[in-house]
Amino acid sequence: MPDLVYEKMLQKCVKGELRVVNAGLPRRRKTLSSLLGEEYPHVLCCDGSAHLFKMKELEYLINITSIDEQEVLLLPILIALAEDPAEAVIICEHKVEEHVISEVLNMPMVTVGGKLRIYRPQLVLLRKVLKTTTQYVFSSKIVV
Amino acid sequence: MPQQLIKVRPTKIELVKLKRRLSLAQRVQKIVRDRLSILTMEFLETAREAMEAKEKLIGSFSEGYKALSLASGYHGYMALDKELIASEVDPKVIAGLRNIAGVRIPSFELRNNGKIMKGYSLVDTSSWLDYAAQLSKKWLEAIVELAELQRSLELLGIEINRAKRVTNALEYIIIPGLQVTINYLNMKFEERDREEKTRLKRVKMLIA
Repeated sequence: MPDLVYEKMLQKCVKGELRVVNAGLPRRRKTLSSLLGEEYPHVLCCDGSAHLFKMKELEYLINITSIDEQEVLLLPILIALAEDPAEAVIICEHKVEEHVISEVLNMPMVTVGGKLRIYRPQLVLLRKVLKTTTQYVFSSKIVV
Repeated sequence: MPQQLIKVRPTKIELVKLKRRLSLAQRVQKIVRDRLSILTMEFLETAREAMEAKEKLIGSFSEGYKALSLASGYHGYMALDKELIASEVDPKVIAGLRNIAGVRIPSFELRNNGKIMKGYSLVDTSSWLDYAAQLSKKWLEAIVELAELQRSLELLGIEINRAKRVTNALEYIIIPGLQVTINYLNMKFEERDREEKTRLKRVKMLIA
């Protein structure tokens, strides 16, 4: 019986921790062009709260993307942590994410299998510029 | 510190259960460790930004105070008060939340700040007042930015402490305890196998 309690406690801990860390994930991501039409650009998160985007960041994104790209770019951009603790993986559904990251980091980047790998110092630079338009994803599985 | 054995019956089923528990604990540890590293990174970056914002605020404050003093010396307090009375505008601050690895952080944004402090007559006033007005925009931006950063620092600090406690508990107590118990059970089973082998050999010898 105590084993079962212990097991349940650990299981709860995993679920709880995953729920807490991923509470900020959006229920549905919005495109840059649709966010520009809102007075208070935001997305609803998994926990029901609203994640507010800063207008300054959206304006920055407008400057570095074309109109077609604005209609495709989904915000917030998702960042997952890789197996190697020195790396992070950016989940790219379209080519536009790659273009945005390249512009922010001021260097050419290549997506492999819908994932773009960057180093931690680059992640710091990226988060400095795109604070509200990027979001971390946590998973108990290891992202290779 | 020697790790405490978990009291379990030395059976294969218990070993399987312990192994399952260990893998679960390692999964939790991975999440918590990732979270801690992200929170620390964000904390350091926020601290750096807060410092920059504070310096910017102090710099623009001292410069603005100088400009305003010169303007008041040039026009006189009464005339300056009269000019500035019409230029009062309530700044619009948009407040919301953003989430960093499970920590809800306030997000403030100053909007329509271009209109602030522009209600006075440009003909009757000196360039010092214009300069002070320009600087006032910077103050407001810096104040709002600093408010956000200071609060973020506090919240991130609290969460880092909590995550550190969980990581330490997993790293130094739960996981080593499970590993030691699994090793103990493995050794126990090996010992049992050896005993069994010796017993069989002894029986074989007795029969032969």
